[in-house]
Amino acid sequence: MTPCPPTIGDFSVLPVSVPPVPSFPRSVLHYLYVRRNAPKIPTPDDERSLFLTNVPVDSTELHLRSLFTALAGAGRFESATFEDERKAPNSVSDAQPIHAARLLAAHGKKRKREDEEVERAREDAAARLPSTWSRPLRRSGSTAVVLLADEKSVEQVLKAVAKVHKTKKYPAWGAGLENVTGPKAVPPLGSAWLKAHNRLSYADKDVVQAAVDAFSELFGKREREAAEIAKRLRNEPDEDGFVTVTKGGRNAPAKMREAEEAKMKMMERAEKKKAEMTDFYQFQLRERKKEEQAELVKQFEEDRQRLSVMREKRGKFVPEA
Amino acid sequence: MDSGPSKRRKLDHSQTTSENAAQSVAPRGPSRLRVFILEADDLLGDVSLDYAVALQGADDLLHKVKGSIEAIEPHESLPINDAARRLEKKHRIHVPFPEPRPAKDSNYKVSFAKPLQFNVVGSYVSKTMVKSQRDHAVDMVVVIPAEILQEKDHHDLRYFYKRAYFLAVISAGLQKEFKDTADLLFEHLNGNPLCPIVSIRPKKDGTEKEGETPSLLDYRIRVIPCFPYGFFPKTKLHLEAALIRKGYEEGNLEPTPFYNSTLTAEGSFLAYLKVLRHAEKKCAAFKKACILGRIWLQQRGFGGDISRGGFGHFEWAVLLALLLQGGESKGNATLSTSLSSTQLFKALIQFLSVTNLAEKPCVLGPGRADFGAPEDCGPVIYDSSRQHNIAFKMSPWSAALLLQQAKRTRSLLSDNAVDQFGPSFILKTDLPLHSFDLVARLNHLGTFDKVSETDPRGRLWQLGEAVYKNLRRAFSDEDYGDKARLIHIQTPDRPAWPLAESMSPLDDSALQVGILFHPVNMARTVDRGPSAGPSAEEKEECDAFRQFWGDKAELRRFERDGIHETLIWNSSSPFELCEEIIRYVLSLHLRIGTVEKDLTFYGNGLASLLPLRPTDASVFNATRKAFASFERDIRDLEDLPLHVRQLAPVCPELRQASVKLPTLGWSKSGPQPMETVISFEASGKWPESIAAIQRTKIAFLLMIGRLLEQSKAGELKTWLGLEDSACDTENLAFLDVVYESGASFRLRIHSDLEEMLLEREAKDKTLEQYLRTKAATSLARFRRLYTQLPLHTQTISTFVTRFPALSPTVRLLKHWFNSHKLSCHFTDEFIELIVLHVFISPYPWEAPSSASTGFYRALLFLARWDWRSDPLILDTGGDMAAAERHAIGTRMEAWRKIDPNMNHTVLFVATAQDPSGLAYTTLDGHAKPSKVAASRMTALAKSASKVVREQGVKLDPRRLFVPSVKDYDVLLHLNGKVGKSILKTYPTDDLDIGSEGAVKHSKFKNLDERTGQNPLPLAQHPADALLKQLNAAYSGTLAFFRGAAEDKTIGAIWNPQMQQRSFRVNLPTSYQPVFQVKGDGSDGGDDDKEEEQAVDVNREAIVAEIARIGGDLVEKIDVKGL
Repeated sequence: MTPCPPTIGDFSVLPVSVPPVPSFPRSVLHYLYVRRNAPKIPTPDDERSLFLTNVPVDSTELHLRSLFTALAGAGRFESATFEDERKAPNSVSDAQPIHAARLLAAHGKKRKREDEEVERAREDAAARLPSTWSRPLRRSGSTAVVLLADEKSVEQVLKAVAKVHKTKKYPAWGAGLENVTGPKAVPPLGSAWLKAHNRLSYADKDVVQAAVDAFSELFGKREREAAEIAKRLRNEPDEDGFVTVTKGGRNAPAKMREAEEAKMKMMERAEKKKAEMTDFYQFQLRERKKEEQAELVKQFEEDRQRLSVMREKRGKFVPEA
Repeated sequence: MDSGPSKRRKLDHSQTTSENAAQSVAPRGPSRLRVFILEADDLLGDVSLDYAVALQGADDLLHKVKGSIEAIEPHESLPINDAARRLEKKHRIHVPFPEPRPAKDSNYKVSFAKPLQFNVVGSYVSKTMVKSQRDHAVDMVVVIPAEILQEKDHHDLRYFYKRAYFLAVISAGLQKEFKDTADLLFEHLNGNPLCPIVSIRPKKDGTEKEGETPSLLDYRIRVIPCFPYGFFPKTKLHLEAALIRKGYEEGNLEPTPFYNSTLTAEGSFLAYLKVLRHAEKKCAAFKKACILGRIWLQQRGFGGDISRGGFGHFEWAVLLALLLQGGESKGNATLSTSLSSTQLFKALIQFLSVTNLAEKPCVLGPGRADFGAPEDCGPVIYDSSRQHNIAFKMSPWSAALLLQQAKRTRSLLSDNAVDQFGPSFILKTDLPLHSFDLVARLNHLGTFDKVSETDPRGRLWQLGEAVYKNLRRAFSDEDYGDKARLIHIQTPDRPAWPLAESMSPLDDSALQVGILFHPVNMARTVDRGPSAGPSAEEKEECDAFRQFWGDKAELRRFERDGIHETLIWNSSSPFELCEEIIRYVLSLHLRIGTVEKDLTFYGNGLASLLPLRPTDASVFNATRKAFASFERDIRDLEDLPLHVRQLAPVCPELRQASVKLPTLGWSKSGPQPMETVISFEASGKWPESIAAIQRTKIAFLLMIGRLLEQSKAGELKTWLGLEDSACDTENLAFLDVVYESGASFRLRIHSDLEEMLLEREAKDKTLEQYLRTKAATSLARFRRLYTQLPLHTQTISTFVTRFPALSPTVRLLKHWFNSHKLSCHFTDEFIELIVLHVFISPYPWEAPSSASTGFYRALLFLARWDWRSDPLILDTGGDMAAAERHAIGTRMEAWRKIDPNMNHTVLFVATAQDPSGLAYTTLDGHAKPSKVAASRMTALAKSASKVVREQGVKLDPRRLFVPSVKDYDVLLHLNGKVGKSILKTYPTDDLDIGSEGAVKHSKFKNLDERTGQNPLPLAQHPADALLKQLNAAYSGTLAFFRGAAEDKTIGAIWNPQMQQRSFRVNLPTSYQPVFQVKGDGSDGGDDDKEEEQAVDVNREAIVAEIARIGGDLVEKIDVKGL
């Protein structure tokens, strides 16, 4: 095996040895790339977190915990956030009528207060549907952010990573996780995982019902909020003196179907008028015929061109033998 | 299939020029007519021979032949046997006397004199040879001088004996001259045993001078002796005359039409040469029309040989010439000489498609029409001026085939929606596996004893005729039965033989019988014959019926329909039924088939593969009934807040298109519900947010489930399943309804507001691009599930009832996709549409009448379909306007311009309901299949079609279904036992414990807590779920290939674009750092530093990850090159 460089760019390379499994009885090395976390938008925890890329597809927080315990000793690891979790859309953010969303975005109060945020998270959690997988897979080559206990731990881990290259004692993936049972155990993959998926896909009806109820409550609330804002906006001109036109004014908006019907009627009328006016005069007829003939000539040329293109592509015609 | 719709136009341009002009004014997109003409012109240019190059030296050779024949010494008359013996001794030439050879004590005298005349005839003179011809021959006619013939020679083969001797003498002379420079062989002219000829094929080796380009073609010169025009009086050679009298009593003579026509043909070479030259002069397009005809005939297996139908280029040309000169009885010309080549071609096709030669003699020209053809003289095209039957070499079956082919081509040429050119001239259409539903080989060893001496075509031909007659009576009886559309007999070719030997006997080779089923009638197991009831007895017919069918005919009483003669067959599938009838009829009337080896049947191998059974349709119907009762249960629910507008099935099981039959009872897996969608009346109550709509749907589903469980308590159980959805705006849940009786259905709700919101979002310019793309993808998914799939299911169900062979063909083709691990890349609907296309535009055949022909033709279509440039357009409604087709083509061109590498759009399949062309070939915004999978499909179909072509009827169909696993980089072998164990899950199963640590469920049923519990339905097949997860994790790295969900091996290929690259943060897959070999000194130091940062795909680690994901389910992983 060729030796690997200890760093690549500003990342430290962390080789992890993967134990063999019966179906692929070979021990291989997986490479994690680690650096200090420095996101574009800083957060208070940046100092004590690490940015990992190329995490294995079967990573869980427990896997990373065991890995970092092996590197820097117990008690350093706090939590891990994976790429897909960070990117996951706030499930209930869409839980409002579209017009309400726009209104809120433009005119709503900025929500800053912490207690409101907590409240919101609680509502979200209540409205969220249960997951159907006992253990999600990560996309191959994806990233994760690991939160450690303090800044010192970060230093320690990076040092340990550098040291690994000298001793060639690579930490093992998933070490010490096989024997754990109970709630702390990593849910298994393979057949049990697929079985669990099927089982989880059929969630308890009451749980689902509760989530749906929570959602509709939330939705109703947002709708009311939006209605209030709309009402407010109807009466208040903005800085330029314009009054925003909003839904729910004195006159109810036209029903969709009525609008469609009106449109159909209009089109019919236009059609009829058009039909009356075509071929009315002799010259119209003549012109139409002329146009048709021109069209025909054009098509003929097009056909010929298309055929010559086809011919070039195909080569000669040879009847099959 | 008959061309039903009225929009189809008339074909014969000759008669409808005014109509033609009127049509050409109407705008209708690209005109097939124009394209056809242009393409035919191209074809004529492409196939034409450059005579100077290709047949170089032919003229010289002809002169030499003439010279050496003229140099032969004449001799006085000798007794025939002595003369033959002399030739054999002196020149080692065996005189090719026709059978029966002259008697030993024959006192016929033969002599030789210088030929009266030499003449080159045939397509060499008229320059109508083409490159792709089977063989190229230059015909030279040598006229036997009148002085060595006698007027009575037309009796009893005397002329033919003299002719054979004359030929042998000529051959002796030629042999002397061309011993070293050419190969000389005897052959039969057009396979006619009466007319041996000698062929001279120049040897290819060093005979050519240096510097000259060797002639391209392997041509030969055929020397054909004949008698002077009018030597035998025509009146004595008419079709009814009995000219073979030896061994027959005077009053007992049989007419010898074939013998007589051979004689008239012998005498009219030069007359027909004149006819053709005249036509060439008069009509400019005549030659081209002849070339088109030659290609058309050749692609359909027709030729001048008796074994190839007896209707070749010569017959085509003469027929066309006669029609140009005066086809009508009053002598007026049927066709105008000013027509173009394609018009002449179409006119002749039209003529052949309405002229049933086998039933009614066709008389051309003004002469007397009362020539009185005997009953069984075969097809007749009578040229009354030359008093010759042009079609004398044709057999009844070849006439039927010609009629059929002409009809097919006519309906093709009148269908403006399809490519008319390819099926007319390019496709080879005489492969038995494509053309016939059943092929039988008659290896008949000699129990057929009704040989007639008066028919010189030989025992085998007569056997064929007898077989044809009996099978026709059995299968094509229009009143009772009509089980076959076409019966064809293939007699073997007669090969050429060396001068010194006697011709090889033919009689041990086999006849091949091909049957094209009538798709509906062939499956009938009870055939009703003539009425035999006391009131309505048809006595004569009953007698005839009983006489033909023997003991098989029995009397049966039918409800409301009296008593009938009846045939009851034991077999159930159409193929077996046909086999049973053939065996019965042939053994009854011809005593064939009594020996096992006599008859071999081909064409049923596919059905046993799947297996396809005739009872399958009833299983599908039962499923459909279960669905109907489910629909009733839903509609009967009273407390639903909205009215049910429609409940539509969307899965292959409910349109008879699933490979496996739906299981309606106990099975080893949990119930696999059949998918349906429900839509309600329009309502304003849906919330105006997609996410909220999805939640409302869940509430709705829960309510339906509750109501169903209340109203049908004890009969069914419902489960609410959650989808594997990535975000809240996708469909979130479905309801599974499992009936105690075994059927189970999955319900998803359609909300019209959702579509509107998605549409608005997709068009909203103020949104960010990625959101709009996402909305567009969701919209496509929505439309596919709720609009297109229900319509597609309906369409396929309709066509399944119209074409009985459609359902089994679809299932076979799906099985083929499965076997080659392709099906995970294709939608079910796509495969169904491919098969449907083969059925609704089946040119140059009719719609397939059995699964095997359908399957082979579908493969052929896949092999020939150039999906890079052609869209597949299915006119499922039967009324697609040409402009619409044009628009589809334009749309495809536009797509190809946007995406020339075909990353997003690959296959284009448009139907009447989906003119976008992508509904069935894209899924969730990705092309399905990708370009790789589509190319693989084409490659596999090509090689399969090649095997079909090469192997012919002897093909073992299993060969087509063997996957080649060596092409995959990684092979995952799944553990079948574990795979089965995850097919059933129970609500009480513990989630947290893995399979190793699981509490052992008791071995005994009565102790197991799960006994009596209903297993959960399968949300999706575990194998599908696994594949989906793998695809999501390794989307750009590995392409996985798998067939059906039961497939035990998954193949995978590394993406070749994933290679060594420089490091960056967001890697597309798992990479390992590499030390590169430092570049040679010339490279700067900066490069070295960058090279150090290169990374390469960590293939081993990826495979190890897959192994961990698969866990106990994956038994073994094979990796190529690791």
